[in-house]
Amino acid sequence: MTGGGSGIGRDIALGLNDASATVVAVDGPLESREETGRAFVAGGRADAVVHALVDPDALVSAEVADTDEDSWDRRCEAVLRTALRCCQAAFDAFGDWGGRIVLVTPTVGLTGSAGLAPYATAIEGMRSLAKSAARQWGDRGITVNCVAPRIDGSSDVRTEVAPVIATLLADSARIVTGATLVVDGGLVMAP
Amino acid sequence: MKDVLAGRSVVVTGAGDGVGKGIALACGAAGAHVVVAARRENGAKTVAAIEKRGGTAMWVRCDVTDRGNVEAAVATTIARTGRLDVMIHNATSRRSSEPVRLEDVDDALWEEHASVSLRGAYYCAHAALPALRDGGGSFILMTSPAGMEGSATLPVYGVVKGALRGLAKSLAREWAPFGVTVNTVSPLAHTRALEDAYEQDPELEERLARRIPMGRVGDPEVDIGPAVVFLASEGAGYITGQTLVVDGGRFMTL
Repeated sequence: MTGGGSGIGRDIALGLNDASATVVAVDGPLESREETGRAFVAGGRADAVVHALVDPDALVSAEVADTDEDSWDRRCEAVLRTALRCCQAAFDAFGDWGGRIVLVTPTVGLTGSAGLAPYATAIEGMRSLAKSAARQWGDRGITVNCVAPRIDGSSDVRTEVAPVIATLLADSARIVTGATLVVDGGLVMAP
Repeated sequence: MKDVLAGRSVVVTGAGDGVGKGIALACGAAGAHVVVAARRENGAKTVAAIEKRGGTAMWVRCDVTDRGNVEAAVATTIARTGRLDVMIHNATSRRSSEPVRLEDVDDALWEEHASVSLRGAYYCAHAALPALRDGGGSFILMTSPAGMEGSATLPVYGVVKGALRGLAKSLAREWAPFGVTVNTVSPLAHTRALEDAYEQDPELEERLARRIPMGRVGDPEVDIGPAVVFLASEGAGYITGQTLVVDGGRFMTL
């Protein structure tokens, strides 16, 4: 998983470990697809990739009117480029049996957010990315889903969010793909 | 819909052809002063078509990936008409309809899509806001079925179109205090790209039509344009942050 070294990602890593997964936490910037792919198989083989990296830069709150081009790129387009690279590297890393990809997409994408518009833009792009990847890679046994937690610290990520991700990584979830599971106590009830 | 945009000044990006042209024609028919922002000379043809029907329009050469071009289009609009009420970002990459596997997407293809759809939208938002907030205007972003439900053939197009829905919802919140509405429209319509696809696969149109409850693919001017005109009109002033799906009922899962 990406982003497993700190914050929400760290708690997800701990929770997946609780669910008996062997977790390889890939930290730091994921500069290239090749480098990312190598990191994913550092533990021998990769059965699933959880992209939980949330760049703290992306969470800087500033309205679009006060956002310059560099900030737009860091908070929006870079987040999407990383997500795309991560999915491609997962595709490269998986073996013949397929694999599982889960993208962590905070609910600010679904609801929109004043101040976090660039990040919310990226999140909605990631949800669409998951749907297209699910369509293209389904016949290879790869499922691609999104899990949407709150990012305000009100959830116990290790015990409330990670188990839901673990469920999607299990064999029994092989028919669930292209979906977004909102894990927020019912605040956002997406159509 | 006649005259619902009378006295309003509307910019449409990518209005030289396809859905953008249909939107521009519909806005012209609704009485707007239409600024056709297009990279190529076909922008002038859209203007001619609007004028032929008694409407008012002008072509501004505009590549939305160039911030200066977008700012100039807004400035020219205000210089000519004294106002800007509606900004519609419809332009998409020239590689929009090029099928690709996600594992084969390279930096160049990503940049094509991101620069036109995402950065272009950011430039449009940034350039238009000062004028929009003067008059309680509206900002409309064109999304796509691929942005709603993903696409097996156009995954990158789907990513950027889905992303625009996140932008619209967030800008709707940021700009509501100024009385500016922000919405997206997801059209299913005949375009040059679709016509090309029909030529490759003559049965495609019929297959597509079978999956549309209304039984046909929409027309940019007759079916899509009026929906956009409505969102751009004063009567839609309490609608914001929404996606209006204009597709003959194909997608009802919202």
